Amino acid sequence: MKKFKRVLGLLLCGLLCLNGCADGGSKERPSVWLIAKSTQTEFWKASFAGANAAKAEYNLDLTIRGPETEEDFMAQNHYIEEAVQQGADAIVFSAISYAGNAKAVDYAASKGVKVVVIDSDVDAQAVSVRVGTDNIEAGRMAAQAVLDLEAPKLRIGIINYSVVSRNGEERETGLREVLEKDPRVEQIVTVNVLTSPEAARAQTEILLQKHPDLNVLLALNEPLAVGAAQAVDARNLENQVHLIGFDAHVQCVDYLQTGEVSALVVQNPYAMGYLGVEAAYKVLQGKTYSPDALINTSTTIVTKNNMFTTESQKVLFSFG
Amino acid sequence: MKRRGISMTSILILVLIGMVLVIMSASIMLFLSTYREFLIENARTVGRQITSQVCDTVSNYVDEIESSMDMLKEELDAEDSDAFFDSFLKIRPDVVAVTTYDDQGTLLDCRTLDHKVRQEVYQNLSWDPSNLLSQKRQISTPHVVTLFEGEYPWVVTMTAPLEGKNRWIGLDISFSSISEYISGVGIGQHGYCFLMDETGNMIYHPQQQLIYSSLKTEDTEFIARQMDGSIVKENVIYTVQSLDNCRWRVVGVSFVDELIDDSIRDISEIMGVTAVLIALFAILIGFFISRALSRPVRELSGAMRQFEADADHFVYQPVGGAREIVALSDSFHHMVGRIQRLMEQVRSEEINLRKTELKALQAQINPHFLYNTLDSISWMCERGKNGDAVKMVNALARLFRISISRGHELIPIRSELMHAESYLEIQAYRYKNQFSYRFDVEESCMDYLCNKITLQPIIENAIYHGINGLVDEGEIVISLKEEGEDLLFLVEDNGAGMEPEMVQAILSKERSDHTGIGIKNVNDRLKIYFGTPYGITIDSAPDEGTRVYIRMPKVREAAQYEKI
Repeated sequence: MKKFKRVLGLLLCGLLCLNGCADGGSKERPSVWLIAKSTQTEFWKASFAGANAAKAEYNLDLTIRGPETEEDFMAQNHYIEEAVQQGADAIVFSAISYAGNAKAVDYAASKGVKVVVIDSDVDAQAVSVRVGTDNIEAGRMAAQAVLDLEAPKLRIGIINYSVVSRNGEERETGLREVLEKDPRVEQIVTVNVLTSPEAARAQTEILLQKHPDLNVLLALNEPLAVGAAQAVDARNLENQVHLIGFDAHVQCVDYLQTGEVSALVVQNPYAMGYLGVEAAYKVLQGKTYSPDALINTSTTIVTKNNMFTTESQKVLFSFG
Repeated sequence: MKRRGISMTSILILVLIGMVLVIMSASIMLFLSTYREFLIENARTVGRQITSQVCDTVSNYVDEIESSMDMLKEELDAEDSDAFFDSFLKIRPDVVAVTTYDDQGTLLDCRTLDHKVRQEVYQNLSWDPSNLLSQKRQISTPHVVTLFEGEYPWVVTMTAPLEGKNRWIGLDISFSSISEYISGVGIGQHGYCFLMDETGNMIYHPQQQLIYSSLKTEDTEFIARQMDGSIVKENVIYTVQSLDNCRWRVVGVSFVDELIDDSIRDISEIMGVTAVLIALFAILIGFFISRALSRPVRELSGAMRQFEADADHFVYQPVGGAREIVALSDSFHHMVGRIQRLMEQVRSEEINLRKTELKALQAQINPHFLYNTLDSISWMCERGKNGDAVKMVNALARLFRISISRGHELIPIRSELMHAESYLEIQAYRYKNQFSYRFDVEESCMDYLCNKITLQPIIENAIYHGINGLVDEGEIVISLKEEGEDLLFLVEDNGAGMEPEMVQAILSKERSDHTGIGIKNVNDRLKIYFGTPYGITIDSAPDEGTRVYIRMPKVREAAQYEKI
């Protein structure tokens, strides 16, 4: 009889466990932090929209942070520390400085936080996977857009941002790799400017003054493209200077119609945000990627001729 | 207790649980397969209902826009049209712009709120040149409005000719209202609705941006080829319904796996609870089975083992339980009783046989002893020792008389002592001067009874193995005393003594000449008559003489021992 009672007790326990299992799954949602280079540009806003879509899809807690300026990697390091302190499970990170953010990323990884890099790489071993544009390839595409211009001689000014940033460096590498081989190219000058339309505009004007014979300008990200386009517009050089910009700021699209901008290298920031957060989720679920894996998001060249095709519209304009 | 194999109860419980589980899983499989069909059918119905609702809503919306458009057509050339358009655009924030075109498709006018219209329009996506060919109301695929500076909202454009005026009117309609109708619609947990046109162009999808960013695809080309109704394709149920007032189709998407998974979870919950209940039930049954069958069987087998081990003192306690078990128990009870009775019978028969045998032995006289004694007497007569001869003859006569004792087995101790003395007397003549003897008997013991011819074999042994061959004169002392409820004889000699093997041999072997009574017979007889605590013990060692103890109870009445 004693044994019988004991068995009965065990069975009741089992029943309770079963009930416990049935309403399981209400465990805490994984906490993912997205630390961007900026929170202001259209590029990053689209990226956040993508991240939020992934957040909804995978039922995550998403915290988004970005510094005031796209040079402030120290602020990014603070955000990483904050994320670690707040108990983030994963950080989706776009590094302003390839070297300067490395320690903070390694620190986060040492605390068990998974790191997914989007858009711009960081010099850290602990990165689980990288998501974004193949920037060297994007540079080559921009160079091809330059070579597609009809001008017989190409005197090129490159307006790049911070020298410490990996993706800017990679884009310029891709650019120069193609351009330096071409006989039409007579000159390539690079200026590095602060990442803001104002700074870019001012520096572009100075560059154009210094090198009045430049006929091609390359602006390697969204704020720089906007600033450079404004400079070209201000100096009424749309017929003389061909500007090839990056990303799809609405002002650049306007300038594309009016000719100040000749072509835009459009990345897919929405996909970066979405796939970055998705990769973070998958890594937290235990998926592993090979160390040099890059989840490549598409890059498209848009010119005035093809800017309103259905495909270009989807690339250029975000849907609400 | 050694246990081999599994108990009957566990076998029964296991069989029961196994059977129930097999039946349950079989029925669940059957149930699931039919349930799946049912679920899919159900999901189709739900999908149809929801899709039809969405279809109605969107259809109404299109009707609404159309009637707005009809109203706008009339107001287009009115005096105070600006004010009218302003208020119209305020009331209908989903209309981004109202445009008019001439018969070449050239933009004449663009009325809008809060948007700055471009001076020069590079390419107007709101106007589709193919409109001119159909002369009917058209709704475009989604595109951005390219008429504004710094803004590119996604819209669909509804265009219609203005009757008799060679002009066209266009309404750019944002997705805000359509989104409201469609985004909130869910079918099942992850199901949703989207809007496409009949050629497979996506009009509105709750995750439009994911689709535009190539992160998600819908197989609209496949769906475009399907008729209205529901289609199951690779675990996805598409429910398609066409709008009646335009070329759009509403597609409801739901996932079979999800439905099945949910139901499987429900079923497994039910199954879990049922399994627990069954287990409880099985244990309950096991408990009863154990009470009715296996425990009584175990008890019965225990009783049998016990009976096997000690049949004499076994007392059977009948066991209860099932009728068959009770029958078994009763039979065993009878069997035990019968076996015990038979054993008792066999034992008493054996004892009687033995007693008879011993009696026959007692009646025999060792012929050598008789020859030798008669020899001695004849020799005495020859030598004229008539007195001695007379004594010898008397002693012999006494010996025989007491031996016979009118057939009684138990005789007074006095007689037995007399018998012993007669024997010693005769032997003393024969072993002249070789030994002396004496009796040391408590007078109070004289009137108890003892088996006849108990002392003589022991004295014989003392003479043949103790005194005979002794150089000095030996002595045999026969003593008797009370010891509680027992009597204790002691026959002691100071002769050669015996090795332990010899002692053992004397106690366990019949006499070699098969005549008369040996020490073993005496011992057996005592044990048969009085039980195992009684009998002979021999205490002897070489050169130290022999002491033979005879223990028997104080017997006052012959009747209680003599019955055969």
